[in-house]
Amino acid sequence: MSNKSGMAYSLTALCPIINGSTGDQSYASITREFLQNLALDENSPMAKVANTYLCRFFILNDVFYEASPSREEHLKSKYIVFSSNFYGDLDRYLQGMWNNTEKVVKQLFQYCVAFDKVHDAKSFVIYIKNCQVKNNLFFNGSTDVSLDEQLKGLYLKQEFTQFAYDNQGKDAEYLQQAFQDFVKRTQPSKAKPTWLPGSLGTVVSA
Amino acid sequence: MSNIAGKAYAMNVVTPLKWGSTFLNKVIFKFVTTKIGVKYLKGLTTLSLIHYAKWTIIKPSQFPRLSKTQPKETIKYNYMIFFSNFNGSWTQYVDSFTSAIPTGLDLFWRKNIQYPGSYPMQPFHDYITFNQVWTNHYYNAYPMAASNDVKAGKNIKNKLSEFIVDTEKDSAECFKKKYDQLLLALQGDLSIMEPTPIVSLASQVVQDHYLQQEQPKKLKVECLQ
Repeated sequence: MSNKSGMAYSLTALCPIINGSTGDQSYASITREFLQNLALDENSPMAKVANTYLCRFFILNDVFYEASPSREEHLKSKYIVFSSNFYGDLDRYLQGMWNNTEKVVKQLFQYCVAFDKVHDAKSFVIYIKNCQVKNNLFFNGSTDVSLDEQLKGLYLKQEFTQFAYDNQGKDAEYLQQAFQDFVKRTQPSKAKPTWLPGSLGTVVSA
Repeated sequence: MSNIAGKAYAMNVVTPLKWGSTFLNKVIFKFVTTKIGVKYLKGLTTLSLIHYAKWTIIKPSQFPRLSKTQPKETIKYNYMIFFSNFNGSWTQYVDSFTSAIPTGLDLFWRKNIQYPGSYPMQPFHDYITFNQVWTNHYYNAYPMAASNDVKAGKNIKNKLSEFIVDTEKDSAECFKKKYDQLLLALQGDLSIMEPTPIVSLASQVVQDHYLQQEQPKKLKVECLQ
């Protein structure tokens, strides 16, 4: 199936925005401004949504005219395009999105057609599925393990590289002891310590 | 605008194609996932700078219409949306794409209206630029990591776990021997990750955005003065 690659899922949803305005600003423009002012990195609302690898939102205002002899045509609605690459099941992911970012979700989609019917996680899942379009080809150039696994791997990569650098040329006994200390500190088999999602290597301790 | 989140760049390209071409494109997309056709995607793997990418073709009737009050789309063309999450600058990516998979590119976009071909580069650049839509919010769970770092992290975690079990009861000398072997096996994966340097004007805009978020009051005062 072209939405999945192993356990990695790629969601594409086009959420139509109502053709209307408040004062001199269109709903699409208000939505764009809202998106552009969202906090970034670990403060992004999407950092709270478990298993999000990478995701984006943009407003599709219209389609492009490719010049003569092609036909000029225009969309009747503007759309919020929501694209997310994440680990696992779509329903569980969207439920997590609603449960962890309900306030932001409500503000973001408030001017979308039929969003007034969304009141809880269940109706949000149905709404996004109604807006979903199927991918024709999904290429996974990364991994399809859970985000926790990815972040723990990156944490260990950073820490172990530093360890290898610091302990070059050390004798066997010193090295073995230092490695045991390293394992005790980094806990490779446990979830924490690890990197905070969305951060520039901020370590979350056990 | 935030096409950039750490080391990842979000590209969105929307291009029209005719009804007959859509059918052919869909067949091609299916074909490249088969054992025979997968060679056309090999260049993408070789590029090794893509986290995730996808192609989505939408017919006019497939644009979501959730209410009778929403006007029905009257467009005639189908539209292909290409989404990519890659490492590096726009130019690096587009040029690498052209160099690594020109055949694949032409295969995927050949039937798109006014597609100029992957060579020469300038018309191809113009085509992508013209049809690109800017991202309004982009989130990356690991802004300091490239796609290769994520894969390396997985490998290091697995190898370290095996190594810990394997050397648990070893003497110091034996441990060191196996440790050296581990470093040899992981030499391609070990590197320190740092925040991305500013590689383009677009990333400068993102940096400015950060500053605005960090110092809203100060900026306001400056405006008042």
